[in-house]
Amino acid sequence: MFPSFRLAMSWLHTWFGLVLGYLLIVIFFFGSLSVFDREFDRWAIPDTRFAAQPLPSYDRMLAPIFARMTPEADELEAARGRVKAPLPETLKPLNWSAYTTHRDPVVGLYAEYAVPGNPDDPEDHVHGHVTVDPRNGRLLRDDQLKIGSEFFYPMHIGLHITWKNLGYWIVGLAALVMLAALVSGVVIHRHLFREFFTFRPQKHIQRSTLDLHNLTGVVALPFHFFFALTGLTIFAAMYLPVSESMLKPQATAAAMAEAQQKHLPYAAAGVPAPLASVDAMVSEAKRRWAAHDMAGEVGYLYISHPGDRNSYVTIYRGGSDRVALLGQAIHFEGTTGRVLYEEPQPSAVAKVNEFLTGLHLQQFEHWALRWFYLFGGLTGCACIATGFLFFVEKRKRKHAAQGHAGARWADAMAVTTVTGMLVAALAILVANRLLPEDLPLRGDWEKRTFWAAWLLSFAHAAWRCRPMRQGLPSPAWFEQCCIVATLAFAAVALNGVTTGDHLVKTLFIERYWPVASVDLALLAVGLLAAGVARRLRLRRSVPEVHVRTANAEQAHAS
Amino acid sequence: MRPESLMILAALLVSLAGAVWLAASLDAHWQQLRGREAAASPRQVALLRGLGATAWLFALLLCCRADHASMAVLVWIMSISAASCAAAFLLAWRPRAVAWLLAWA
Repeated sequence: MFPSFRLAMSWLHTWFGLVLGYLLIVIFFFGSLSVFDREFDRWAIPDTRFAAQPLPSYDRMLAPIFARMTPEADELEAARGRVKAPLPETLKPLNWSAYTTHRDPVVGLYAEYAVPGNPDDPEDHVHGHVTVDPRNGRLLRDDQLKIGSEFFYPMHIGLHITWKNLGYWIVGLAALVMLAALVSGVVIHRHLFREFFTFRPQKHIQRSTLDLHNLTGVVALPFHFFFALTGLTIFAAMYLPVSESMLKPQATAAAMAEAQQKHLPYAAAGVPAPLASVDAMVSEAKRRWAAHDMAGEVGYLYISHPGDRNSYVTIYRGGSDRVALLGQAIHFEGTTGRVLYEEPQPSAVAKVNEFLTGLHLQQFEHWALRWFYLFGGLTGCACIATGFLFFVEKRKRKHAAQGHAGARWADAMAVTTVTGMLVAALAILVANRLLPEDLPLRGDWEKRTFWAAWLLSFAHAAWRCRPMRQGLPSPAWFEQCCIVATLAFAAVALNGVTTGDHLVKTLFIERYWPVASVDLALLAVGLLAAGVARRLRLRRSVPEVHVRTANAEQAHAS
Repeated sequence: MRPESLMILAALLVSLAGAVWLAASLDAHWQQLRGREAAASPRQVALLRGLGATAWLFALLLCCRADHASMAVLVWIMSISAASCAAAFLLAWRPRAVAWLLAWA
């Protein structure tokens, strides 16, 4: 089919890159924002703008809150349809857990409740979730949206397509294609080393676009490669669920054997018994970590079968000084507080796995690396965006002459996924500051604003692509850059006006980096968009004189 | 600033110098730094590459001083990426700003 391997790779890179690129840029962009998810949370929920806190006392503060927690109403409603008999008034908790990191002022509490009487799934369960202010035990309103960790982050891992986990599968497919695009990109790159540092802005637009595409792809190649790869390995258990399907009996047996070896009760006894002091277990865990020269705070607290004689408590160390996520787990018997099992140092294989998972999920305390990750993610976006521009630039005149709509649609989609995505992400922040404070289901309205803004930017891009019929650039790029700049500056101004946490205050008076850095980043986006808009307008006023050079370079560049 | 942060900042600057030296060993970038007609001698090219590689290794040492080894490797790789990207933009737009790194050659 192809005369050479390189041409085959070139075809693969072009078409898979274009089609999946529209997805990949979304995944890359929201992944980049997720690096600072907790900081977006602080920006979006002004009540939580205070310093990060360690896990509060379980015995005094968390225990009564856990006891009052209930399953999510919508999950409960769905579960009613899965069971034969009506559900009991209160469901028995299977486990309670609390999670916090070195960047969290508020702590998240999670619970799983058994759903009895499902003939298809004896392990059927529903979830409960609350967020607590650890300074006073007050619960946060549950209709407020943590824009970073509850909207941008799920967008990154599953595009908010929850039906049958389809979103995770699409993202996995995109990661796989990303790996293929990287390999094929390296194959078709003529001068990987000779042009490693090459960017020629003074050359024709098509050439400098390709330069930027190569530069951003190549300099951050290790980042792109490892993030696509680790993204896949993190979800490997979901993509290849052998322990859930083919090998289910063996997997269950292995889990029971492991529990027995660690003296952890696998199932509830059905006999009620009170829980011993969890605070005492926490101090014992901290003492043991310190004895191993790994003093640290609790990252994750897990209580299995609370209130049952067979309950046990697992305490994980927060992995803020290691790449690995959490670790050094110690298991305690729930009723006595006696240590059941202390996890040994992980094996070499487990260490590699933890390193790969941890490097992607980055819960460590390292601000320089966090900003480097943002850089890596944004080079990915720049690489994909310049890929789109190159695709369109190469074909637009030919398609215009032939009356083809291909380049026009590719360009409209590129506008939607580059500037349109920025418009949507900024619109949700602006909506967060503009919607009335006491609006019921406020978070849902913020989400609707996001999707509406994105849809509108697509409609705008499709409507304004008409000049491309004559081979001229689409004015949608310029117009959406103006909208991006306006929204970015508006978000900063609104934050200052509605919360009083303007940059002068967050930088100089009461320094608060989480909000200040989001504001600074928004200002940078606004300035960049305004700069690009200015350049685009200058370019529009200059007649296109480079057609011949473009054709001459096309042979070279392809 | 904490000593670790200073160390990482130093690693980033050393990576940038390394990237400029490695770039200068290529004809196109040597010309950006030295004007149109100039060309580096083979000895200069070898020296530039040696210097660049040493700088990048030195940056790794600095990263290892600042952090646990597993973290240091990540910081080093990303600092090389960022420095290479910055070098490309500096060579294209502000070659004078880094030309002094070649004053000896």
